[in-house]
Order: sequence, then structure tokens, then C-alpha cells
Amino acid sequence: MKSRHLRAQAASFCFILPALTVLALLLLYPVVTSIYYSFTSKHLIKTGYEFVFLQNYIAVLTDKEFWTSFLTNIKWTVTSLFFQILVGFFAALALERIGKGKSFFRTVLIIPWAFPSIVIALSWKWILNGVSGYLPNILVKLGICDAIPQFLSSSALAFPVLVMINVWFGAPLIMVNVLSALQTVPRDQYEAAQVDGASPLQSFLHITLPHIRIVMGLLIVLRTIWIFNSFDMIYLITGGGPAGLTQTVPIYAYNVGWGLKMLGRSSAVTVLLLIFLLLVCALYFRILDKWEKEA
Amino acid sequence: MKKNRLLAALLAGLLLLSLLTGCGGNNTGNQTNNQANSSADQGDADAADSGELEGNIVFWHSFTQGPRMEKIQAAADEFMELHPKVNITIETFSWADFYTKWTTGLASGNVPDISSTIASQLVEMIDADAVIPLDDLIDEVGRDRFYENALREMTAEDGQCYGAPLYLNTEAMWYRKDLLEKYNLEVPETWEEMYEAAKIITDGENGAVYGAAMPMGTNDMLATRWLHLYVRSAGETLITEDGKANLTSPTAIEGIKYWVKVFEDCSPADAINYNTLDEATLYYQGKLAFDFNTGFHISGVETNRPDLMEYIDCAPIPRVSADDPAVGCETNTTPLVVWKNSEHPEICKEFIKFMYEEDRYVDFLLSVPVGMMSGIKGVTDSEVYQSNQTVQDFKHADEVLNQMLEGSTSIGMEYGPRAEAGLLTSQRVIEEMFQDIVMNGTAVEDAAKAAENQLNDLFSTVG
Repeated sequence: MKSRHLRAQAASFCFILPALTVLALLLLYPVVTSIYYSFTSKHLIKTGYEFVFLQNYIAVLTDKEFWTSFLTNIKWTVTSLFFQILVGFFAALALERIGKGKSFFRTVLIIPWAFPSIVIALSWKWILNGVSGYLPNILVKLGICDAIPQFLSSSALAFPVLVMINVWFGAPLIMVNVLSALQTVPRDQYEAAQVDGASPLQSFLHITLPHIRIVMGLLIVLRTIWIFNSFDMIYLITGGGPAGLTQTVPIYAYNVGWGLKMLGRSSAVTVLLLIFLLLVCALYFRILDKWEKEA
Repeated sequence: MKKNRLLAALLAGLLLLSLLTGCGGNNTGNQTNNQANSSADQGDADAADSGELEGNIVFWHSFTQGPRMEKIQAAADEFMELHPKVNITIETFSWADFYTKWTTGLASGNVPDISSTIASQLVEMIDADAVIPLDDLIDEVGRDRFYENALREMTAEDGQCYGAPLYLNTEAMWYRKDLLEKYNLEVPETWEEMYEAAKIITDGENGAVYGAAMPMGTNDMLATRWLHLYVRSAGETLITEDGKANLTSPTAIEGIKYWVKVFEDCSPADAINYNTLDEATLYYQGKLAFDFNTGFHISGVETNRPDLMEYIDCAPIPRVSADDPAVGCETNTTPLVVWKNSEHPEICKEFIKFMYEEDRYVDFLLSVPVGMMSGIKGVTDSEVYQSNQTVQDFKHADEVLNQMLEGSTSIGMEYGPRAEAGLLTSQRVIEEMFQDIVMNGTAVEDAAKAAENQLNDLFSTVG
């Protein structure tokens, strides 16, 4: 019996071995290479490099620009994530209430996810253009603004506008997932609560939220990583400007690696980023584990 | 049950086998390739004996626009027809992708046999020992037929020339004739005249058209270019002869103040983030009176606003004083290079020579008339070139651009090719300096000093 079980396990393992091998290579190779290069003076073009031990880390951690970018990155991640969840969550609740056309609205609202980020970035850049962009011009024509608002070049507007674009892009994913989770909540629990005289808010807090919080938790983990590492949207729309106001750590790493060609130092930035994200994820997963145990 | 397990084990075995075969397949493939290579080597030897060219080469270029791409492909097809044992594979990338491709490909040997490039990248290629000298080719075509400055930019410290200039681009001041006429303005000859004209047009058009758009985007190098044009027109350079950054000389400070003034009084506020495409698009849309660009502006306007074609023209770069001579300030050379990894440099050189044959070369230049300027003197005097409709329509622009060509070089290459020039244009230090001045109100002198120090620190990494 035991040997039959072992044989079955071995057969299963053989099935997943090719995929595991590919996955391990794809995941491990870049991570190990980055860690290795972060201790060297590796240059993008020049051949030959030497071990510099912690020099790259010291250079990065003592660079004021790195810390400014890091703080901007935190601001970018927290605000984007907060509003994505808020908008996505309420959109899902609203969609759940709709009787007719649910799938139509779900399809329409997921559209931002169907476009490559380069298309989204360039489209928004065009929409918000301070000369010919139709949104700023409409605002002036409607008398809402006296002069054409400079969404992407004003020090007060550039960052919030980027966050708004990111929310527009990311909220639909939250919405679709939350909607799926909402549909798994047993109806009879709501009916029982209603019989017991629970208010809609009480039903939401004591039935809906506990059912969907694990899905929400996983979404938060994934979105935190994606938003923190996002590069293309910011780079294509503002390039990190104006005056470095929208420069995040990935753009900083890109400038160091591809601008200065200091691959070693750029790798140190990415390793630091990895450590930070691992710590954040560990914290998230701890909370998720607790929730799962409670469930 | 037993059958299922047997089937499962069989499938798993097959999967593993396919994986191993996949890996093994490479070996087999390599062997086949090796055999093919050794036969090719043998073939090369035979071909060399018979003087016949034989082999496969890969050509990377960045001529992504339709007509230019077609001309290059047609030339390659013709070459292959002439040399049946030669196969040319063409791969096209944008300039940005090209840089990424060759820098990352260098370590793994994944570079082409022949490619186009730009002067600042060529310095890096020479520095990385990635390309081979082309002096024999230059001499065969005729060294004195090439523009001296273009060849100088391709020549390394060892005295060898590593690039064959395919075409040149010269910067000039582009303007709108109809707008100047509307406001009764003359074509500006000095920077101050340009500012005044731009301000009159900006004020008069009330946001419909801007006089100029001083571009400061940190994902491009246009602010560096515009400052360079000012400084160069006054006879100075942004990199001194001894390889130091110059942002604090009286002329450079004047130039920075001038462009800040143009930004504040004549530009859309969005120009703080503008890159090349944003800037050019504004001109193509007819929303800009003055711009600094090459003859490529003609094809851009033709594509986007053909109705404006009769109103655009270019003039020499303005000067600080009207008494100063009108000088060319920036010419960028696009050379072809042969990579050291190439197994068939003889085919590459033969193909480049083939490209320079007059009829074919003129045909290539005419794929962007007036935009791509000849790397070889006298070629554009030919009847075919001169009878082109765009060349005839923009005769004045062509003359101005040719006038600006004389004596001008790429930014930072005034004293020969140097790695510092690449850093000056790629590190966005000047763009950040301008943004700091206009966004944070930093004093021009302080921002210039800080940027100069930053550049000198960067220069020390390649010195």
C-alpha cells in the first residue's frame, strides 16, 4: 500500500518536474545573478569586473536621490493601492446589485486591463496634453478652469494625476476579483441575518467582509508588489519629472543601470527593493494566515 | 487502475524524455550548425580562393520609417542577387531598442555583423572593443569625399576610423512663414530677435500657437541640445578641450537664462516634460512658430499637416550678436559599423561599398528628401537628386542645412570623439538643472554650478 502510494507520488512528481525545472531556472537565475552582480563593479558594456563587496550598497544607501525616490515610491504605492481598493471594492458592490447587464458592465469596466501599458500611458499623455489635450480644453470651455490646467507639469498636479491614472488602470482587477468573491457568499446567511433583524451594515460587516477578506488580502499582496515595481507608466508619462517629483525607485534603478551603465550598483538597488518587498509580503502573509485560521 | 498508473508513468517518462531530447536537440543542432559552419568555413576558403563572396550576415538598423526600410531591403536584395552565396538578414529596431540590444548582447556575443549607430554610441562601441576599423573601406570609397568632421567623429585615439558615415543631420531653426507674415516679423537672426518674435506670436495667438517650446523632459536630451545651440553659436562648447563640463562660463549662464525666459514667456507649461516626439508633434500640429530640428521636419509636417507644407522653412541657428558669423552648431552622423564578432567582415565592407554606389545612394537619400543629408560630398548635385519635387520645393531649406553642415559636429564632439559626450547627452543633468530652476526657483548660477559639478563627477568615471 505504502509503496503504491510512493509510486503514485513519484509519477506525479515526474509530471511537474519539467515545469518546475523551467520555473526554477526562470525565477532563480535573474535573482541569483542580481545578487551576485550587486557585490561587483559590473558595467553594462565594459568587460571584466571585480568584487567590491558592500561598496554598491553603501553608495546607494548614502545617495539622497535614492531615499527621495524611495519615499515617492511608498507614497505612490500606498495612495494607488488605497484608491484602487476603494474604487474596485465599491464598483464590485454596485455591480453585484445590478440585475441586468452585469456581464456587460463587467466587460466594459475591465477594458483598461486589456490595453498594453504603453498604449495607456501615451493615450493619457495625449488626453492631458497641456496644449491640445481634450480634457484640459473641455475644462476651460465649460468654465471650470480659467486657464488650461497643466496636469503633467504642475508640481501640485503631476503626482496625483499619475495616481489617478494608476487607479483607473488597477481598480478593475480588484473589482472583478471582489465580485467573484462576493458571489461565493452563501445567500442563506444574509436571509438568516435578515430574520434576526440585522441591518445591511451589520450584514456587510459580519457576513460579507469575513468571506471576502482573504481574497482581498491576496489582492493587496499582489497589487503592492506590482505597484511598487511599476516603471513603464511613470517613465512614459513624466519620465520621473517634473524636477524628480514622480521619480520612484525602479526609475532610479533604471537611470543607474542604463544611464550610468553601473549594473553592479543598479543590481544593489534591485536587491534592496527585493528585501523590502519580501519584508512587506511576510507581514501581509502573517495577517492572512491569521485570517485563514480564524476562518 | 493499473492501466491508468501505467499510462501516467508512460506520459511522465515521455515528458522527461522530451525535455532531455529538447536539451539534446540543441547539441544535435549545434553539431549540425558546427557541420554547417565547418562546411561554410570550407566554402569560405574556396570562395576566398575564387574571390566569390559567401556567407550569412545580420544587419541591424534603426531606419524604422517605411521608405528608408524599403530602400535598405532593396539594396540587400540586389546585393544578394549579385552574390548568390551571400545571405543578408535585416533586423530593425528603434534607436532606444538598438542601444539596449547591443549593450546587453555584447556579453553573450549576440551582436550583428553590421549595423547603423550614432556617434556617441560609436565611442562606447570602440571603448568596448566591439567594432573594427574601416579605414580600408573609407580609402576605397575616397577619404576626401567624406566630410572631415564626420570622419573625425568616427576616428578613435589610435587614429583608426571605425564608422562609415551613411548620412548626416544638421540642426537649423525651423519657422512658420505665415505667422511671421501675420505679425509683420522678419526671420530672426539673433537669439534676442527670436525671443521677441516668439513672444509676440505667443501673446497674439493666445494659446492657439506658441512661439517656442523650450523642452525640458528628463527622458530625452532636448534641453541639452537647445543650450548647446546657444553656447555653440557664440563659439563655445559644453565640453571644453580638456574634457570638462562648461555650464558656468558667462555665455553658458546667459544661455541658461535665455532659455528659462523663453520657457516662461513663450512656451506651453507642459514643455517641462517634453521629449523629441512631443516637441516635434507640436510643430507638426501647427502649434509652434519656432523649433530647432533637422530636415526630417519636412516629412513630419507632410505626414501630419500637408496643408502647412508651403508655410515652413528653416534659417541658420541664431547668434548672440548679428555681427557674429552664422555657424553650424550641430550635425549628427549616422555611420555604419562592422562588428568585431562578424565572421564575414569582407561581406560587410563590400555591402557598405555597394550602398555608396551613386545611384543607389541617391535613391536611399531621397527616401527622406532634404532630411537625410549626404555623407559624401557632391552626390546631391546629381540630376536625379535635384529633380526631386521635395528638394525643389525646399531648395532654400536644403541650402541652409548644407550651410549649417560646414564645421559642425555632434554635441560634445567638437574636439574629437569622447565618451564624455555620451554622458552629457544621456544623463539628463542639464534637463534636471532646467527643471530645478523653473520648478524650485533655484538661482541659475547655483543650479549651473551644481550641474557642472555633477557632470564633471560623471566624466571622471570615463576619464
